[in-house]
Amino acid sequence: MRKLLFGSWLLSLLFCLPVLAQDAVVSGRVTSSDDGSALPGVSVQVKGTTRGTTSDANGNFSISTAPGRTLVFSFIGYTTQEVAVGNRKTVSVQLVSSANALNEVVVTGYGGTVNRREFTGASSKVSGATISNLPVGSFDKALAGRAAGVQVTSANGVPGGAIQIRIRGVGSILAGSDPLYVVDGVQINSTNNSSFTSNNPLSFLNPNDIESIEILKDAAAASIYGSQAANGVVLVTTKRGKAGKTQITFNYFKGIADPIKKLDVLNTQEWIQLRTENLVNAGTSAEAARANVLGTLRLPTTLTDAEIAALPTYDWQDAVFRQGKTDNYELGLNGGNEKTRFFVSGSYYTQSANVINVNFKRGTLNTTLTHQINNKLSIDQTLKLSTITSNGQFGGPNGGSFLGAGAFSSPLILPSAAIYNADGSYNGTPALGGIPGILNQNVVQVSELNTIRSNTNQFVGSLALNYKVTNNLTIRPFVSLDYRAIRGKNFSDPRTADGVNVRGRIQDQFNENKNFLTNITANYTQTVGKSDFGVLLGAEYRSDVNENLGTNITNVPTPDFKYASAAALPVSIGGTWTGYRKGSVFGNIKYNFNRKYDLSLIGRLDGSSRFGANNRFGFFPSVSGAWLVSEENFLKGGRYVSDLKLRASFGTTGNDQLGSLFNAANFPGLALVNPGFDYNGAAGFAPAQLANPDLKWETNQTINLGLDFGFLNNRITGSVDVFERTSKDLLLPFNLPFTSGYSAISRNAGEVKNRGLEIEINTVNVRAGQFQWKSSFNFTTIKNKLTALYPGIVPLNNPDSTVLLTYTDFYGVGRNAILGQPLQTQFTTDYAGVNPATGRAMFYDYAGNITYRPLTPRDQKYFGTELPKFYGGFNNTFVYGGLTLDFLFQFDYGRRSFNSQTSFLIENAGRNFNALQSSFDNRWQKPGDITSVPRAYNANVETNSVSNLGGTRTLEDASYMRLKQITLSYDVPAAISGRIKASKARVYIQAANLLTFTNWSSYDPEFLNFGSGNSGVVPNSKTYQAGINLTF
Amino acid sequence: MRTFKSILLSTSLLTVGLLTVTACSNSSDFLEVQPRSQGDSQVALSTAEGIDAAVNGIYDRLQSTALYGRDMLALSEALGDNAQFTNKSGRLANENRNIAGATFSNWATSYFAINQANLVLDNVSKITFADTSQRNRLQGQAYFLRALLYHDLSRIYAYDPGVAVAAQDRGGVPLLLTGVADQSKIELPARPAVADVYKQIYSDLQNAINVLSRTNTSAPAYGNRQAAQALFSRVALYNKDYATAVKYANDAINGTIKLSANASYIGGWRAPQNPESLFEIQYIVAENIGVNTSLQTTYTTLVRTGDRTATGGFGDLVPTTVGATSFISDLEAEKGATGTVLDIRRQLYELGTTGRGTAFIECTKFLGKNGTINLDNVPVIRVSELYLNRAEANYYLGNTADALADLNVIRQRCGLPASTLTGAPLLAEIMRQARLEFGFEGHRWFDLKRTGQPVVKATAQGGGLAYTDNRILAPIPVNELSTNKNIKQNFGY
Repeated sequence: MRKLLFGSWLLSLLFCLPVLAQDAVVSGRVTSSDDGSALPGVSVQVKGTTRGTTSDANGNFSISTAPGRTLVFSFIGYTTQEVAVGNRKTVSVQLVSSANALNEVVVTGYGGTVNRREFTGASSKVSGATISNLPVGSFDKALAGRAAGVQVTSANGVPGGAIQIRIRGVGSILAGSDPLYVVDGVQINSTNNSSFTSNNPLSFLNPNDIESIEILKDAAAASIYGSQAANGVVLVTTKRGKAGKTQITFNYFKGIADPIKKLDVLNTQEWIQLRTENLVNAGTSAEAARANVLGTLRLPTTLTDAEIAALPTYDWQDAVFRQGKTDNYELGLNGGNEKTRFFVSGSYYTQSANVINVNFKRGTLNTTLTHQINNKLSIDQTLKLSTITSNGQFGGPNGGSFLGAGAFSSPLILPSAAIYNADGSYNGTPALGGIPGILNQNVVQVSELNTIRSNTNQFVGSLALNYKVTNNLTIRPFVSLDYRAIRGKNFSDPRTADGVNVRGRIQDQFNENKNFLTNITANYTQTVGKSDFGVLLGAEYRSDVNENLGTNITNVPTPDFKYASAAALPVSIGGTWTGYRKGSVFGNIKYNFNRKYDLSLIGRLDGSSRFGANNRFGFFPSVSGAWLVSEENFLKGGRYVSDLKLRASFGTTGNDQLGSLFNAANFPGLALVNPGFDYNGAAGFAPAQLANPDLKWETNQTINLGLDFGFLNNRITGSVDVFERTSKDLLLPFNLPFTSGYSAISRNAGEVKNRGLEIEINTVNVRAGQFQWKSSFNFTTIKNKLTALYPGIVPLNNPDSTVLLTYTDFYGVGRNAILGQPLQTQFTTDYAGVNPATGRAMFYDYAGNITYRPLTPRDQKYFGTELPKFYGGFNNTFVYGGLTLDFLFQFDYGRRSFNSQTSFLIENAGRNFNALQSSFDNRWQKPGDITSVPRAYNANVETNSVSNLGGTRTLEDASYMRLKQITLSYDVPAAISGRIKASKARVYIQAANLLTFTNWSSYDPEFLNFGSGNSGVVPNSKTYQAGINLTF
Repeated sequence: MRTFKSILLSTSLLTVGLLTVTACSNSSDFLEVQPRSQGDSQVALSTAEGIDAAVNGIYDRLQSTALYGRDMLALSEALGDNAQFTNKSGRLANENRNIAGATFSNWATSYFAINQANLVLDNVSKITFADTSQRNRLQGQAYFLRALLYHDLSRIYAYDPGVAVAAQDRGGVPLLLTGVADQSKIELPARPAVADVYKQIYSDLQNAINVLSRTNTSAPAYGNRQAAQALFSRVALYNKDYATAVKYANDAINGTIKLSANASYIGGWRAPQNPESLFEIQYIVAENIGVNTSLQTTYTTLVRTGDRTATGGFGDLVPTTVGATSFISDLEAEKGATGTVLDIRRQLYELGTTGRGTAFIECTKFLGKNGTINLDNVPVIRVSELYLNRAEANYYLGNTADALADLNVIRQRCGLPASTLTGAPLLAEIMRQARLEFGFEGHRWFDLKRTGQPVVKATAQGGGLAYTDNRILAPIPVNELSTNKNIKQNFGY
């Protein structure tokens, strides 16, 4: 090895010798066309040679070259410029910022970047500036509507809560569908391991530290990441220091959050009337029904009509939904010299949700350091520390119809129940059965007394050594650690329903994740005549280990004791371990001819402990090419077409997210017995899964055709991509007869196709003097289709012989997959409305006839999917001098979801819940009434009928369009900002989710179904804020 | 030339990388990660400790809500004629009204448990035990539990012997007798005749009785000889095999656990472990089923007897109080001269709280007896059943004197005068005593079913079922039909 290295040095020296003989020194200065400021660190290269230098802190450079040569100036974020030196001794250059053009730089992974001109894959870039200063706990939330092919959905409105990103649709049934996140080369473990709160593993990163986000979408772009790349790759690059005077930036914003919507529910009198009607319709006499209802409300059964009319109504939604607050403080330092550059930032961010006692606090410290040891060696170091405290909602971390969840319960609690007693204490102690009705917990009390919290401490650090063996060859060893520790706490106060019978309960969780990664890459470039070659080779090892400890202890002396030592009665203690390892080699060969034709070949061999013993290694190749048509003579220099590039790619990527998150994660191929099947205090176990040594990754084959264009001097730029993503060997639960002792075994069998069209267009609509109007629009439509399940699957016993697979997905959600339909299907019976004569709920049977008792599966049909038909965003920016108005509309169309919150609210008091006003007003009351709301009937099931809440009745269109963000900002003129010695000052006001257009009948159509639909989900909020950025 | 060298360099790097990966993949500790909080099922059952843990795993299944945690008791009561739903949480409302499909769903859990028993029985004889009595105890329990599981499956999903509605009979429940630890062992069984199922249950019980010791050391939390004999008497009675029913009732009555006396009967229901339980599913603090589906919350709003100020559970299912088949009326039917109710079992029912709405008379057999609310051990077989089993069997055998004697053991123990009935009224009284004795213990539905009787209920509880109604049998899960073409769905589903 050493000999080889020495040989290459010697060789490069020899190669350089003839050039040295004819030197003359050329010097100059590089500045930015934006503001004329010096650009340090710009690469200056003599064209056609390997000789180069970089500009210093003041943008100055000097280089020796032969006369008549051309200098190439390149810098990330700026258009590369070539300048013929001629006989000049000084050359000064102004580089033009390359935002939104074919000239931008694409980050390709493993330290690589490529000019968009030469990029052969499909990717979208979102700049850090676009997503900075938004009231979001994690950057992924801010990506919504920003990039074609990227669907971003908030799981809920919990600050710093879970977010789902789907790149180019969903290609997996049983396996995970999350993209790979790589932050400064560190492959992040994005599994949420928090037991009690809705957490986002990406919230460790302050979004304002991000320089840019590159989303790799097709196989050509992503296959360098092999078996982790099938769902796309999100590459995050954080800000780096710039040589020159140290800049100090200060950033502050403050905001408030209000509920998007409250639900209109009944008052006490209407509820009494409706509940009585339920009982009477179900056969109870009017007097008995009235007594029963008043009894339920714990009122004297002798109340007169007048007394009933005087009863008060309490607004529980008002008590539970609060105005949230956001505060963000940041201080950044950045600077350095030619040898050492640094970026240091610290931030403190707090945000409370619009629901009582749900909040998020984060402190971050971020440093990056780049140091040039000598002209061969340099190091890149990053370290991100963060500490997060989040208080979550009572109930499931991601919602769930838990009785104490404020968002779920507040509209459903009986309106006659008071929130506080006259003396200010909480109404309804648990020992008295709480407040009347099924939702008998005082949700305000429960939220205020109980603690649901997680503390997450994370550090993500990396160190890379760049060894420039020759001007053409760089070797880069890299090592990183992504460490995350979560302390979860769930304290059930002894005064609340969950704590009263056990005199308080303390549940503690400690979860620790160690994700270690190391790789070495070699990068070689060479120019021969009109040909440019590039070769990347690398090897990588990753190990990820997770340990969890959970305790459950009851019986505290008084509510003041909230830690485990005070509790007398241990109930259970649990500890688990899981982990996996991966070893890989990969390579990329790039070829460019005459700056017009590009070809790229990628291959990666991945071995993973997750795969079965017989299929431990997978190979993932891709090939792609591009043709820069606008460089051809027939277009070059034309008036209309400034840039035109055609791209085509084909390749395979893998998905290694096998094994359910909640079960045998990381060991999907092994035969396992699970512990915990204990009896009478003695240890027991039971079989959990059967072995499948053939288990392997899921394979994705993607064909992509793309067109990048710039018209009218690049006033109109954009891309159009069409793709077909075929996901094969999908992990499927081969359902087994339960008589086997197992419910399923995982095998690779299914196939799903995602065909899609993505459009991104950026336009400069008006440019007149100080006024400018720019728009950017992106649109994605995807047809998702399940094209194969496993051979021999027995069709359902219904007239359509539907081939259906019922399964629980990676995220714990029970779903159906129907052959020939999109994934995440809604398969149910067809609600036919109300019989005008009787008020009974009717359904259609398979033949379209009316029935009261539809049979499953005979009368069930496909009724849409939770996947959208199309989605996208439309952004407009108006600039006048220092004033900028920017707004983003985001839309998501065609998603069909069961509205489980509404499902409770339209029971119309069939049980002791409050009901929606609209459902009450529209209910069937007398023969001849034409309505879709059945008559009120106790328990919602009439004799010889099914539940009147069933079938498509609660299936709703969750499409929406919203004004995601609107910002008005003002760049304070230097003359004014100079008075406080600031070089730049910017003030702004902003609002998010200001307008939402939807037919969705409960709070908010944007949520994720974690198994219990939208019930218990903390809804998204409207936020308003104001902020200031100062640079000194 | 230079290019060539560099390519050579890079190629060497790649080769080194490849070699490293390949070399490491051949060594045992790279890319080979063994789970640490789960076990390898190939070795799990290869030791005595493993067999012991595997047997505990079967009991754990029985604790689930789908079996003795709730459904075997409360869901049976909801389907039958003892109970009415209160709609306080909405649970069991559909089951109580016999809405199609609202019924047992214990198929999967039961067959998972049967597979565990099969794996124990497959492996237990291959292992050397230091103590053969330990082996016998574990083997006997596995036989006993398999018999219990098959009998419960059979009485839920199949007609009972002798009372099948021929036109609707689709056979018994599939019999699986070999454990599945790898894919090659998976069978696709058809439904055998009900008689074959009973033959297998007989064989398992016989084996259990043969290997279990006389001393009943593990009773009642674990399967034991007396419990196996008692279960045999129940199974034989279902099979209309009356001589066998009498024989095993005799054997079990002669065992160490005896009938509770009048004075200790009610107290027995307040103790964590009912003194006349032959087999009980027991629960520790960590296994609390909780406020939604525990037996306590299902049956009562009370936290403790006699205290209507504290509300605990929902009290979703309570005894019927009006109408022809009113449970409480039946319980109060025999009164003393002063009009006091004679039957001491009436003390197990009392008025609940108004904390969840209107107060109802509720069953208090499950009241957090283990010291924590919602935590109760669940009796599966009690000694009282042996007397009623033997009375019924003797009645059919023509031994009415013996039948009457056993009936009166139960009647007098409960404070009722001795009966002198004969003929059909004697049989009716035996069945009535079974209803009252096992109220809210899940017997009534199955007793009506095994004797081919209709379920008579008020309209508010769905109006009842004719015996020929298909809802008498639960539907086999759709998964079973789609994965195993040999299985036939029950009639009408």
